[in-house]
Amino acid sequence: MPKTDVINGNKAAAVAVSLVEPDVIAAYPITPQSSIVEYLTQFVINNDIDSYMSEVESEHSAMSVLTGASLSGGRTFTATASQGLSLMYEPYFRASTLRLPVVMAVTNREMISPQTVWGGPQDSLSVRDAGWLQIYVEDNQEILDTIIQAYRIAEDKKVLLPINVCFDGFYLTHMTEKVEIPDKQDIDRFLPEYNPEHIILDSEKPMAVDPLTSGYLLMEYREKHLKAQQEALKLIEEVDSLYEGITGRSYGGLVENYKCDDADYVIVTMGSMTGACREAVDHKRNEGLKVGLLKIRALRPFPKQKVMEIISGKKAFGVVDRNVSFGWDTGIIYQEVKSALYDSKCYMPSVPFIGGLGGEDITIEHFEDAIVKIHEAYQNENNPQTVWLKN
Amino acid sequence: MKYRDILMEQEDLVSPGISACQGCGAELCLRTALRVLGKNTVVAIPPGCLAGAGVVGWNYDNGLKIPVHITLLDNTASFLAGVKELYDYLDEDVQVVAIAGDGATADCGFQSLSGAAERGHNIIYICYDNEGYMNTGFQRSGTTTKGSHTSTTPVGSLIKGKAQHKKDMPMIMAMHNAAYVATLNPAYMKDFVSKLKKAMSVKEGLSYLHVCSPCPTGWRFNSDLSIEVARKAVKTNFFPLYEYENNSFKLKKVANPEPVSNFLKLSKKFKHLDEKDIEEIQAHVDEKYNNLVNLAGENIN
Repeated sequence: MPKTDVINGNKAAAVAVSLVEPDVIAAYPITPQSSIVEYLTQFVINNDIDSYMSEVESEHSAMSVLTGASLSGGRTFTATASQGLSLMYEPYFRASTLRLPVVMAVTNREMISPQTVWGGPQDSLSVRDAGWLQIYVEDNQEILDTIIQAYRIAEDKKVLLPINVCFDGFYLTHMTEKVEIPDKQDIDRFLPEYNPEHIILDSEKPMAVDPLTSGYLLMEYREKHLKAQQEALKLIEEVDSLYEGITGRSYGGLVENYKCDDADYVIVTMGSMTGACREAVDHKRNEGLKVGLLKIRALRPFPKQKVMEIISGKKAFGVVDRNVSFGWDTGIIYQEVKSALYDSKCYMPSVPFIGGLGGEDITIEHFEDAIVKIHEAYQNENNPQTVWLKN
Repeated sequence: MKYRDILMEQEDLVSPGISACQGCGAELCLRTALRVLGKNTVVAIPPGCLAGAGVVGWNYDNGLKIPVHITLLDNTASFLAGVKELYDYLDEDVQVVAIAGDGATADCGFQSLSGAAERGHNIIYICYDNEGYMNTGFQRSGTTTKGSHTSTTPVGSLIKGKAQHKKDMPMIMAMHNAAYVATLNPAYMKDFVSKLKKAMSVKEGLSYLHVCSPCPTGWRFNSDLSIEVARKAVKTNFFPLYEYENNSFKLKKVANPEPVSNFLKLSKKFKHLDEKDIEEIQAHVDEKYNNLVNLAGENIN
């Protein structure tokens, strides 16, 4: 029988990992991720899980240890945030181009400067084009469920890519919520064994892994990598359904559509801010404004088709970004959504919002104001400048 | 098995057709090391001369007859830690070996190596020290000898060659309490093979082998002189042969050491040095050697 517990997001992540029991875990502590490492170390030293834990001297080495373990055929896990992810960038990029299905939690934390430790996905969004899959989640239950699903997605032979499960620092990592913990037997049935054939360091089957490679071959690699990302679009949805069959919980796969079908206006969110926005949508609907909410779960691959289906034909949309896209004067998700809509051939006014940086709260009132601004953009037939949601 | 028999009878695990320079110390070290290590070995080679020479392969072709991977320049030790952990987890005994240049060891790869040594991963880390980034045109590294000309420490009117002394990697690794540390030299093959064998027998902790690897192209000497240059490095106490294990040092003493100038004068990278420069290098060599004598105590032969 599944158990129910009241735990914070980091514990939910660690419990998910304990249900999967990777062969090798390597991690270096960083706020707000540290307690994931502490929980996992506890599990390992008390023999609750059969995994090898490496307390490395840096994030760069954490990803390097996992690269070695994964290249030798192992299932792996690590977690990091912000500056740690930046330090890890070199082996991070390479884990994806080597097609290693490493699973990594990112406890999203704002990038310095100015000096900060609080939440925000600027860290993982800044590496969105490093070839990894990235899923952003909203609450502690979704953290647990998505980390388990991540192994099934990453290790699928059609995909074979590393994956980030990203969740907001402090808002999720340190807040406790009720979480249902599945039975280990169910997870064992859900996750097939990982047996890599594409790439392996095995003295029985000598292979030169990553020789110097000419441009024409490198292009083949990149083309296949892009295709694998597109395959993941289907797989993320299939795995969501399969998982629902076991646990009864579904997250919509690539996106969550909340009351968008009959809506005139759509507001787009990602991560932990979504709960407050759902409240705001309900309030505004009660006031007669037909608004819906689109929550982006998969950022890589980007669910272009889903976004087009849900938003095209509406009167206006807006995107609330807890991050910035330097050089665009907007957030990153706004650019991604707008880009996805280009092929829908239907123009509509839109509003970029930026809020919640450095862990600032994005309140229900902020979202209500944002919905009003989206409505006004339709009425005034214009695209306003970025609206900063300040407290 | 005698070392000559090992070198003559055991298979050369390097594929034909690799493109190291004529007289390359690193290639000799690689071929010899792999003959001794044998097939049950996984090798990591960071970017550098050996990777550039194609030992990891080119397009579809393998450069070695055993599993090999070009790591990043700065993560060889931690990468291999992961390989070893996975094989330990699977209860399979595989030798996990790094063959890395001095840049990937003493400079940007140092943090990863230091961490792996401190945690005691059971890997063999071989550093071929040719005193610089040789495959990219001889830029300075932390192990370049003071006074040496390199492309980034040229001989000018203000400064002549590298301004700092060589980073003492084997001593630094001994101070990590690595399970086994040794200095190896291709002019002393019997010693080379026996030290590598000892590293292979270590079943707990990291072994660090520091190899003197003269580079005809960068150091500028005729390619038939590689072994002579390597031998002079030992004969002059510039590169003393020693071991460290179980908290103690063992030093191989050179009878009647020659002045360091006999080593320096073989390579044109030192040709601009004047008497005072050479005296300073001699003083540094003497100081390092005396320190080793003190550390070795009675273990000098």
